[in-house]
Amino acid sequence: MGNNESHVKIRVNNLTKRFGDLTVLDKICFEIKTGELVAIVGPTGCGKTTFLNTLSKLMPATDGDILIDGEEASPRKHNISYVFQEPTCLPWRTVRENVAYGMEVKGIPKKERMERTDRIMELVGLSSCANLYPNQVSASMMQRIAVSRAFAVEPDLLLMDEPYGQLDVKLRYYLEDELISLWQKLKSTVLFVTHNIEEAVYVAERILVLSNKPTCVKAEITVDLERPRSFLDPQFMEIRHQVTELIRWW
Amino acid sequence: MAYEEIVVKKPLPLIALPCLSVAAFLLFWEWIVVSGTVPSVLLAPPSQVFTVFMDKLGNPNPDGAILAVHAWTSLQEAFIGYSLSLLVGIPLGLAMGWFRIVEGLIRPIFELIRPIPPIAWIPLTVFWFGIGLTGKVFIIWIAGIVPCVINSYVGVRMTQPTLIQMARTYGATDWQIFHQLCIPSALPMVFGALQIALAYCWTNLVGAELLASDTGLGYLITMGGRLGRPDIVVLGMVCVGISGAILGFIIDCVERRLLAGIRR
Repeated sequence: MGNNESHVKIRVNNLTKRFGDLTVLDKICFEIKTGELVAIVGPTGCGKTTFLNTLSKLMPATDGDILIDGEEASPRKHNISYVFQEPTCLPWRTVRENVAYGMEVKGIPKKERMERTDRIMELVGLSSCANLYPNQVSASMMQRIAVSRAFAVEPDLLLMDEPYGQLDVKLRYYLEDELISLWQKLKSTVLFVTHNIEEAVYVAERILVLSNKPTCVKAEITVDLERPRSFLDPQFMEIRHQVTELIRWW
Repeated sequence: MAYEEIVVKKPLPLIALPCLSVAAFLLFWEWIVVSGTVPSVLLAPPSQVFTVFMDKLGNPNPDGAILAVHAWTSLQEAFIGYSLSLLVGIPLGLAMGWFRIVEGLIRPIFELIRPIPPIAWIPLTVFWFGIGLTGKVFIIWIAGIVPCVINSYVGVRMTQPTLIQMARTYGATDWQIFHQLCIPSALPMVFGALQIALAYCWTNLVGAELLASDTGLGYLITMGGRLGRPDIVVLGMVCVGISGAILGFIIDCVERRLLAGIRR
């Protein structure tokens, strides 16, 4: 029990969120182990963004607990990173300064900040545009800046809200691979929200399927496939089909 | 993927056209007076204004001071009043945008004072400060502070909400968000305020001098009128115009330097 317990990084108990009479999140319970990459899929409008906003403490939960390492989660105490759907670069900072921003807020000493920034930018191929401003790089670059900034603080929990939803398919495949390699190298704990089932099966170790409102965890599917994964692998297609059946509303 | 800095040359028409338009304007002006379309008692041609300008550089007559003294008085008043309005207005506006308490306390008073034209303060300032420097600085300060407060306030309010959320998830404090996010994102609006406030200060300066003073460019214009000398009136107006344009240009240059990332 003790050994098993130490592996659990995030524990969410009965997380509930109500807006007046409308119950959006209804007693959500799940656990994420240290260094796990979990994807969350659900039908449109099931409250995925509300879910992330409550998890990240941007929004107070009506009821329930979010525990990180057994302690009540708090942005001041824990390292929580959040990659938003839309690009969130600070236009007055260069690419490099943007990547370092999260660490700056966290008060990480300058020397370490520089080293980590360099390392991450090397990993994601941002080094060549380190001194440009965000409006001089492409939209996909901006999203990579946000992802790098999020990984750079070595988060206890990294939340991603459809980070690649607005990019074209080819670029998305490329960035998904990049995300996986970052995650494997930095061993962060990632919660990846998407409406794209294929993307979820491709990146995640485990998929949580959400129900319609009031939202709860409807099913949990472990994706135990070798990496790099192939979209044409029969097992891959089987899991994708299984998830699709779970969230179909038509 | 390598990114390189690219230098774009300004196309020739952008340089040539302003020169052309100014030259055409001056020629047209000269022509309507010389040809008699507008009698020279009513408007002085540019050539005559230039002659008076050369004369006034060293001659204190007929209004009592040489041009440099008038210009210096006006610049001094404008500079002090303008600086004070920036110094008070910008921090006040920024704070009103982010801190609810400041907004609640200051906003009602500000909204009441804002619609009063600065010129309306002139009688009171003459009672309080006489016709010296202080009174005019006060009028200019009142004129300049309004756009500073409004623009800084709106600038902070327009900070992209996702940027604030992003900073919050990293655990940023209210103060960190204010000075790391809100102030930089308000800067383009604040620089807009510098331009607008300058225009307000400069116009109200002339207004203040028209009514109560003994030197200054506004005074030069009034005296020209009283003496029936349209050339002196126009000279005063041209000086106000040119010096205002130069100040505006300087602010524009500073802005371009500071806001490289936002404006490019």
